[in-house]
Amino acid sequence: MSTQDTTVRTRDTSGGTLLNHWQRGVPVYREPVVTPTLLFFLALAAIGFALALARLCSPLGPFGGMNDVYAWGIWKTFNVLTLTALGSGPLAVGMAAWVFNRQKLHVVMRTALVSGFLFYSTGLVALGFDVGRPWNFWNVILPWRWNSGSAMLEVSVCMPLYCCVFLFFENLPLILERFYYTGSDATRKALHRMAPFLRRIYPFMITGAYVLPLMHQSSLGGLMLLGGEKVYPLWQTPLLPFLYLLAAGLCGLGFVTFLLLMSALRYSRPLDLGVLGELGNLLSLMCFVFLAVQFGDLVWRGEIRTAFALDKMSLMFLFETALLLIPAVALRSRTMRETPRSLLNLATLACLGGLLYRFIPTTIAFAPAPNAIYFPNVPELLMTIGYIALGIAAFGLAVKYFAILPGEIQDWHHMFRLVRQRRAAARPEGETSWPASLSTP
Amino acid sequence: MFNSLVASSMVLETIDERLLRCGVSRRSFVKFCSSLMIAAPFGLPITDKRTPEEVAQGLGKVIRPPVIWIAFQDCTGCTETLLRTSHPDLGDLILNIISLEYHETLMAGSGKQAEEALTQAVHNYSGKYVCVVEGSIPTKDKGVYMKLAGRPATEVLADVAGKAAAIVAIGSCASWGGIPSADPAPTGAVGVADLMPEKTIINLPGCPPNPYTLLGVVLQFAESGTLPELDHERRPKFAYDRDIHEHCPRRAHFDAGRFVKQFGDEGHREGWCLYEMGCKGPDTHAGCSTRHFNEMPDVWPIGIGAPCIGCTEKSIAFRVPMFQVIQIHTPANPPTTYPPINAPQGTISPIATGLVGLAAGALAGAGYVASRKFSTVPLDQSVPGSGQPGAPGALDKDHEAGPKASE
Amino acid sequence: MSSVFSRRQALLGIVGLGGAVTAAPLASVAAEEHPAHPVAPPDAVSMLYDNTICTGCKACVVACSEANGLPPDTSRSGGLWQMPEDLNSKTKNIIKLCEEPNGKDFAFVKRQCMHCLDPACVTGCPFGALKKNEWGAVTWESSLCIGCRYCEVACPFDVPKFQWDKWNPKIVKCEFCFDQRLKENQQPACTGVCPTGAVIFGKRVDLLAKAKARIAASPGKYFENRVYGEHEAGGTQVLYLSKVSFQDIGLPKLGSASLGHYATMVTSVIYKWLSAPILAAGILGSVIKRNWNRHEAERPEREKQSGLPDQL
Repeated sequence: MSTQDTTVRTRDTSGGTLLNHWQRGVPVYREPVVTPTLLFFLALAAIGFALALARLCSPLGPFGGMNDVYAWGIWKTFNVLTLTALGSGPLAVGMAAWVFNRQKLHVVMRTALVSGFLFYSTGLVALGFDVGRPWNFWNVILPWRWNSGSAMLEVSVCMPLYCCVFLFFENLPLILERFYYTGSDATRKALHRMAPFLRRIYPFMITGAYVLPLMHQSSLGGLMLLGGEKVYPLWQTPLLPFLYLLAAGLCGLGFVTFLLLMSALRYSRPLDLGVLGELGNLLSLMCFVFLAVQFGDLVWRGEIRTAFALDKMSLMFLFETALLLIPAVALRSRTMRETPRSLLNLATLACLGGLLYRFIPTTIAFAPAPNAIYFPNVPELLMTIGYIALGIAAFGLAVKYFAILPGEIQDWHHMFRLVRQRRAAARPEGETSWPASLSTP
Repeated sequence: MFNSLVASSMVLETIDERLLRCGVSRRSFVKFCSSLMIAAPFGLPITDKRTPEEVAQGLGKVIRPPVIWIAFQDCTGCTETLLRTSHPDLGDLILNIISLEYHETLMAGSGKQAEEALTQAVHNYSGKYVCVVEGSIPTKDKGVYMKLAGRPATEVLADVAGKAAAIVAIGSCASWGGIPSADPAPTGAVGVADLMPEKTIINLPGCPPNPYTLLGVVLQFAESGTLPELDHERRPKFAYDRDIHEHCPRRAHFDAGRFVKQFGDEGHREGWCLYEMGCKGPDTHAGCSTRHFNEMPDVWPIGIGAPCIGCTEKSIAFRVPMFQVIQIHTPANPPTTYPPINAPQGTISPIATGLVGLAAGALAGAGYVASRKFSTVPLDQSVPGSGQPGAPGALDKDHEAGPKASE
Repeated sequence: MSSVFSRRQALLGIVGLGGAVTAAPLASVAAEEHPAHPVAPPDAVSMLYDNTICTGCKACVVACSEANGLPPDTSRSGGLWQMPEDLNSKTKNIIKLCEEPNGKDFAFVKRQCMHCLDPACVTGCPFGALKKNEWGAVTWESSLCIGCRYCEVACPFDVPKFQWDKWNPKIVKCEFCFDQRLKENQQPACTGVCPTGAVIFGKRVDLLAKAKARIAASPGKYFENRVYGEHEAGGTQVLYLSKVSFQDIGLPKLGSASLGHYATMVTSVIYKWLSAPILAAGILGSVIKRNWNRHEAERPEREKQSGLPDQL
């Protein structure tokens, strides 16, 4: 095995030299697969799904705290409208990497893709268990029955299409990579044959993978346009779809930053402050753009006084603004961007601000009638927690099976060495099922 | 008086002729007609939309219908109820308005004379008389449980009722079996309609029924030969098409939720609704709530504070326990309650709030703990948790890894 | 590839949409579908409710339940009385009472579907389960409804009600007795049974004129001397005359633009013939293709440096 130093030094834009720790995705191999944490999340997921299955065999009423004026509980408004903003990592990081040519971000694409896929799939599962008449959903494949003015239709068509076709395709390389290294010769031969085809259609698939979320993330905002006067004027604006899209962008960036930092902590992996700094920089810019558009819209609509009225809604709005303004300003400083703890805290604040922005118009600033209140009930909460827990558990498993989290090339080689040792111990005849050298497809 | 009675029993004469012969003045007859209207059932066809004079004129032309009254397994309560009338009183009714040919309780004769009177009347007025049946008919063991002059009730019924122009089954016993048909029904008691379904039968259930119902039926038949419109249980609609609950004088208490909880309590003394004491009013079709008994107001079960037992209904009387509360099938709007403009919607479960607080707290705590593990020093190579430059890298830990790594 | 917008690239950009092209019917959105001021259909039927005549007898509530075969809502009375607290899955029509703070004055209000000229629920329903028919009645069809409850969120009057307690839940709301009565040339159950004529049935043009005539005949009797529903949310087919403030009887204050117009103002333009997505796909596609080609060109060098295959 090569002992050369494969660390690559890159020059950053300000002339300094950064040590590039993150060079490729490396699976987490020093941890056991089944840990108490995993079991905890699987248990939460089991409870949630048991309740979800019970919900299918029962009227919707007892399983949600929803009522006739707050008809949407937290499954639609939180798991779909809000959490898929966090799951917009593939969109935000992808566009930064492939459209705006930020080369450094290619190495964290896989993390963004997997987390995005899990957010979207658990969100769609939540949506599936939320609708009251799911057996009529097959109407979605009959275009003549589509009501073209409906944002709900756009979301119902676009999100499943995106998640199951385009986002899944983007995740395919990391899945197939595993089969390549652990499969038989025949498998490897087949993958060799598939690879050129996948590479040829890749650019078109990722084009679709950016156009579609641009459509449905804005349509999620468009949903609340029909809420009309029921949504408090600070949030109700014709720019709602555009703002939801910007919030998706900043949440995607923020969450990927957060996830990378937390995974590095959990699995004891080195950081790459160049990449993280880049993400922090983009996050700060996105937050500024968002705030600029939002406040510009408030001024243009004449609602800027309402924002500072200091009543309950105004304070909520100012709080959400602060959650976005603080990271926006603080992350302008390079020191802040490259200090791990600050970056984590600021990314978390930005995520929370974005999440709050997307959640508020649906529930907190949604006032359908006086005397009406809504709070999720226990089954509803447990189901939501279950879906999220499933996503977390799946991520925890995925990073151990697939090369997702970014790491160093040395780490990759080390992993191979360890695995070979283990296999040699298991098979004394010394046969390995891996090629001695790695041929390029 | 007696001679004319005997004489008139042989000849069918109109009421006018009868009254003339018996010296009943026109004025008293008109008074009778007006009292008919006061005390008569609501919607009595012959008094509908007419003045007493018109009723008198109409009735005057009517030929006194012959009536044969036979009784089987009865308690004579239905006859007793007839006695409690004064508009007209029983004497006027049986002597001047109808021609009562046979009635075991009211007739003077007995024994062979009575038997003779029955046979004669059946023969003479065959096909023209109204047969009023009181009491249920036993069917078990070849009907031995009730015999009239040695003949089983079923045979008497077939004979007497068979030749009648119309049969009036008065009382719940004759209508559907009544008390004798209650569990275990040792005599196999049934009503007239169960044995002779093809005949023209009117059921007047009740225990006892209101006498004016009988009066209305008989007089309409007498006047026009027609019978009042009947429902699916052969009960005249004018008397049985609504339930007690619809016209109950205590309905306002029901609507306002004022219920008697215990006999003798304050509500009971105030005259509140007896629904919770098992009143069967909502499921019982009868006119008792508008036409009370004994021609005195409030002389009826609910009026005196006893819940209705549903004595007209086959499925309720003597089957459902008296104080068992029934379900209301046709709720109506209470008049005194209106929904507010903004009804409250939604509740907050305290457990759910706790759960959210717990989750939020756990996340915040975990986040804080995690963030503390990160270095605050901006470094360009660092591993979380190490905190110093040149700290041992992640790769140095591989000695402890062991064979637990998976693929 | 030197030229950015070569035919091949543009073509590839469009093809790159893949499944998005199957969303072609989205292109049929036209601004004409949701004009700022909708026009009533020529045969638009209407109800005019005047709470200066209403006695609160609730005969319309009972008649509606019977005509629509609805079970009475006895949940608040322990099974004894039909006393719904609001429109709900068992109640399509309700009479509510507004008691003024002075303790003396009061007013009734009859609430049911407003049958808006450009209904928000119809705009939002994904598969068109809620439709406005040729007479203007808004009806619901069970085979197209997925139970997403967007109609409940969208309706400014909070009218559609979901059957929370049924496994096969329907959306319950007044449909103008369309199937039961309008088709048989009869008026709806509520207007047919009203003993005082507080709610009457007729064509919208006629009833609007009648309402204005009443206002003209008694100026100052009716709140703000106007008819509610003439312009609210673009106009509704149920019109109200009230002696007290409309907001006091629970009718929300609304502008004259329809919600459907507001919600589709922008999307109807940018999604027309899928123009915005196609444009985005074209632009993004060409940029991505260029970056991809460069990425691929640099791949051999990267792989040589690391000694490992490149990861996507």
